[in-house]
Amino acid sequence: MILHLTDVSSEPLHLQIRRQVRALILAGELGEGEGLPSIRGLAKQERVSVITVQRAYDDLERASLIQARRGKGFFVNTISAEGKISMAQQRLEDSLKQVLDAARAEGLSADQIAEVFAALIDPSQDEEAR
Amino acid sequence: MSSPHSFRLSGLEKRYPDFTLGPIDLEVEPGSVLAFVGPNGSGKTTTLHCMMDLVRPTSGTIEIAGRPNNGPDPRWKEDVGFVGEVSGWYKGWTVGRNLAFVSQFYPNWSETHANALARRFGLQLNKKVGALSKGNRRKLSLVAALAHRPRVLLFDEPTSGLDPVVRADVLDVLWELLEDGEASIFYSTHVLSDISRLADELVFLREGRILGRHNKEDLLENWRRVTFRLTGQAGSGLSDSESWYSHRVSGADHQLVTSDFEQTAQVLGSLGAENVHANRLTVEEISIEMLKHQHVTGLEATEGSHVATS
Repeated sequence: MILHLTDVSSEPLHLQIRRQVRALILAGELGEGEGLPSIRGLAKQERVSVITVQRAYDDLERASLIQARRGKGFFVNTISAEGKISMAQQRLEDSLKQVLDAARAEGLSADQIAEVFAALIDPSQDEEAR
Repeated sequence: MSSPHSFRLSGLEKRYPDFTLGPIDLEVEPGSVLAFVGPNGSGKTTTLHCMMDLVRPTSGTIEIAGRPNNGPDPRWKEDVGFVGEVSGWYKGWTVGRNLAFVSQFYPNWSETHANALARRFGLQLNKKVGALSKGNRRKLSLVAALAHRPRVLLFDEPTSGLDPVVRADVLDVLWELLEDGEASIFYSTHVLSDISRLADELVFLREGRILGRHNKEDLLENWRRVTFRLTGQAGSGLSDSESWYSHRVSGADHQLVTSDFEQTAQVLGSLGAENVHANRLTVEEISIEMLKHQHVTGLEATEGSHVATS
């Protein structure tokens, strides 16, 4: 597991770790039952503090994505297909909210916003419309 | 011998005619990294010198890995490694001879480890210390501080005045040390850029007193810079808050830094603030706010200006 962390981001390191590990799990790259690096191991590997990794792992555990086994470390939980979809949807919803707020602040109507989304999801429709 | 604390300061006080440090109470668990942050002259070096028994405290006690550092038993020194601004190397001796000299004071000294570290830092054992650059001399101090594998590492601005490449070398070694969870690091600094990724907690020191001890992730989570607009009567409903720093006002526009974003968002919501934008701060920015500014003390004094009294 190699993460891509940067100091040049408004996203704090623990959120970067959380997001990236979560994406690896939801995409199936980290499979069910697979072990994660230890907190100290990952801290050393990614050159972040122990508490940063700890915070990210705590969050992932609270979201039931990973599980701590006493004395053995952290493992990827069993997540149903529906569970994965609903988590991914939740995340999409959260990030779309910000985009929507910004679009509204710039004066776009609901229809105009929907039009942009529709075109992005299915570019062929966009070309037909033209 | 194991101790629940890496080190413990209880009621530590050192009085000088023009400066008083403390009283300071601080307990640190094994495996944690504390950055000791404060402006020049805030007492960081004095604290570390007290811990190393280089300066006698006026009152209070200090324990290193469970042993008092001023008792008849000198073994506490085996558990501690120190890198300070001043070091007592014999300039006419080679690096190797200096290390061999220091090694005799430490039963746990590992020559293999010392040589490996020296190699890694590119230190030549046969070179005279007098011919070493400042960076290389600091590396030598680091080798000497680590070769007996101490459980407590005390660093007084270990990377100040070093070039970025050497700093990265030094920090790499510290990261490796932390992997087994035994060693703890107490690292004084006035520049946070180096240490902020390594530190678990920050202890802020100003004018000899500890302002606070904070978990780094909590700081990042709770602090925000907020810009907002209060129109009409709403502005007069705004009263000062303990968690606000650097409040600027220009007409109906406000900007401030808050150490409790959740609470601030509630207050702004109830006042009907508009155009609310919030962004996170870096550990360095938070530290500067904390050390530089007093809390906002009444809005009327801040109209159109920075509140930057300290």
